[in-house]
Amino acid sequence: MAEIDDATLDYLLARAGLAATDAQKTGLKAAYAHVAAMADRVRKPRGRVAEPALTYGFGEDDLG
Amino acid sequence: MSAIPTIAEAAKLIAARKLSPVELTRACLDRVRRLDRALHAFVLVTEERALSDARAAEAAIMAGQPAGPLCGIPIGLKDIVDTKDIATTCQSRILRDNVPDADAACAMKLARAGTVLIGKTTTHEFADGGPSFDLPWPPARNPWNTAHFTAGSSSGTGAGVAAGLILGGIGTDTGGSIRGPAALCGIAGIKPTYGLVSRAGVAPAAFTLDHIGPMAWTAEDCALMLQALAGHDPHDPASASWPVPDYTAQLGAGIKGMRIGVIHHFHEVDHKVSEGTQRGIDAAVTTLRELGAAVSEVMLSPLAEWHACGTLISLTERAAAYEEWARTRLGDFSARVQQRLLLGAMVSGVDYVQAVRRRRELREELRAAMAKLDAVLTAVQPNEAPKIDQVPEWDVGHKPSFTMPFNVAGYPAISVCSGFGEGGLPVAIQLVGKPFQEATVLRIADAFEKATAFRVGRPVLASELATAQ
Repeated sequence: MAEIDDATLDYLLARAGLAATDAQKTGLKAAYAHVAAMADRVRKPRGRVAEPALTYGFGEDDLG
Repeated sequence: MSAIPTIAEAAKLIAARKLSPVELTRACLDRVRRLDRALHAFVLVTEERALSDARAAEAAIMAGQPAGPLCGIPIGLKDIVDTKDIATTCQSRILRDNVPDADAACAMKLARAGTVLIGKTTTHEFADGGPSFDLPWPPARNPWNTAHFTAGSSSGTGAGVAAGLILGGIGTDTGGSIRGPAALCGIAGIKPTYGLVSRAGVAPAAFTLDHIGPMAWTAEDCALMLQALAGHDPHDPASASWPVPDYTAQLGAGIKGMRIGVIHHFHEVDHKVSEGTQRGIDAAVTTLRELGAAVSEVMLSPLAEWHACGTLISLTERAAAYEEWARTRLGDFSARVQQRLLLGAMVSGVDYVQAVRRRRELREELRAAMAKLDAVLTAVQPNEAPKIDQVPEWDVGHKPSFTMPFNVAGYPAISVCSGFGEGGLPVAIQLVGKPFQEATVLRIADAFEKATAFRVGRPVLASELATAQ
């Protein structure tokens, strides 16, 4: 299971502009493994050109 | 009134002038007064508005000009739905004094359909986290056993419908927030196709996963409500331009020859459900076969794949929507919502885009799997309702959700009661259709409900009150 060290956790929180309590940081460190596992799961060998869902498809409304 | 009617039953009686909307509304308000101290289904009861709506509906009926089958029907609106001149708190300290100056699109449509607004129903804060005991309003309780959870986030609508405080209501669903409470409260709730019902005026949870839909005692009632709710809205950038069919036209036509795929591995392998839930699913499959459906097995990517995709998108979009308040007023959120917002900071921009790329692949997989099917079936919830004080915190990926796959895909999905499990608590099945095929989903759900006896009994709490009147 992936772990996150204190310095990295503090960096991510600071980058997001969020101030967590010590108790929340403890909870976050435990939950981080699940987030990291999910981030691994969505990475597949799909190459460079596979598009995301919800890319724009311009229609007639855009032409006016 | 001694019995709690369905919307369809009440509509027939009202149209025939055998039931007064005012009388029906007073009966609902009376049940609210007696039961809501135990259920906490409402954040706010709008009694004056309800009686005014009911009188207007009655006048329309007497003038021979009813607005439609919802005329005079008491409903509730989840408290993340904007209501003009009526407080809309999102069950948050941050919006405690918020009074919108306009109705959300769904509120406006239901008002135009002649419904009676009984009040604003309890939600998890901003439709996230929960149950929370650190907010100014208590969480809703399950009418089948008030020591137990309703699921969320449309918890008050679920509890209120099950207990007969309202005949129907609005829920919203980002990862299962209509279908979860519908399942644990033993009612019906449909998450329509993404874009079918306008989100305008409803607080966001995660923009690309958010859906608005009806919750009611039966699938037929959901069809009646969806009829009033569906349709294009230029004020919702994701609103679909799709013709709205008659959702009740196929009800009662049976399901002989329809093709239903069961995603066995979701609930038997990927996230094994309780014995009671499994019994409900097995019995439902038998019933559907007996009704003439051709049932087959469907294989999809493991449930955890869908859950990961949806959860990463959800955490990130929520963090974006609430970033300003998270930075400046984090401590004003409930502890559970704070946890979700903090978790959003753990997801990188690249993680998010990879999730959205995965979403396209998963949706294509479901499209291909359903090419020769009318619907697929799986669980809604893994268990009967847990005790309300035993819902874990920091819970994002421990056990994958059965409902999130169809938010990821945007496909319509309904929860209907499939019996009762441990402790006499309801269990449910989930039926999923192709995009914009809500009529098919409702037809199957309605046939199932009418072939089973699970719509006969209300929670004891509500039944006792009805008998005493």
